[in-house]
Amino acid sequence: MDAATIFALEAYSRGAMSALELRRRLGGATYGDVLRLLSEAALPLPRAPIAGREEQLERAREWMFPRNAA
Amino acid sequence: MPRDLKLFVVDTGPLITLAAAQSLDYLLYVNVDVVIPDAVLHEATYDAARLGAQDIIEWVKAHRGQIEIAATRTYAIFDAARATIPHLREPDLGERAAVEVIEEPDRLRGDERGLLLCEETAVLRRVVVRDRARIIALSTLDFLRILEAERRIQSADDVFQLAAQAGRWPSRAEKLAAYDNATRAAIQGLVKR
Repeated sequence: MDAATIFALEAYSRGAMSALELRRRLGGATYGDVLRLLSEAALPLPRAPIAGREEQLERAREWMFPRNAA
Repeated sequence: MPRDLKLFVVDTGPLITLAAAQSLDYLLYVNVDVVIPDAVLHEATYDAARLGAQDIIEWVKAHRGQIEIAATRTYAIFDAARATIPHLREPDLGERAAVEVIEEPDRLRGDERGLLLCEETAVLRRVVVRDRARIIALSTLDFLRILEAERRIQSADDVFQLAAQAGRWPSRAEKLAAYDNATRAAIQGLVKR
């Protein structure tokens, strides 16, 4: 895996690059390719930060499970 | 199957991640209508050799009563163009179709609300959400964490770990040749018109 690919994968993994931009940089890779390359590079899937979205996520939970929401 | 909450899968990421983790059924753990734009399904499955593609097609076929494949002009035009350009590829096809579906005026009626499930935030940047009080965007991990909080699944992180592990080895589908025409026919058959 070349340095440019690893650089792009690392940026995606830490949430600094969108999946669409990464796929373009990888020459039109599918999301499945992205998943495979992340695995090969031992990088985790990006995790959207929860901070600042707590109310939104709680509202989504209430919509999904109205009787059980806190 | 009218319900007051719809789950729009607006890019391929959630489908492929969950397929890789053998966890697509988690999308059905919530009492909602699942809506997948036709072009998103196409992008996730056009090459049967791709990670998760076969599993996604089989899953959609098995749950047609709960999943709507939303027809879009974006995909119809692309599909027509492929008649003359068989290997035509458009990197943002799914994104454009998703925007089209989300912005359909009749998509959310009355008190209906929508959850947008995506990995690709670019989709959401392009959407002019008419009523933000009725639409919430969730990442795949957000969705899984809510299922975990509701004790519907054991661990959201385990699902991501399984997906990552699946990427390390060729999926069983990668042993197959590409079945572009078969997949195309399957999508046409699945689209609700």
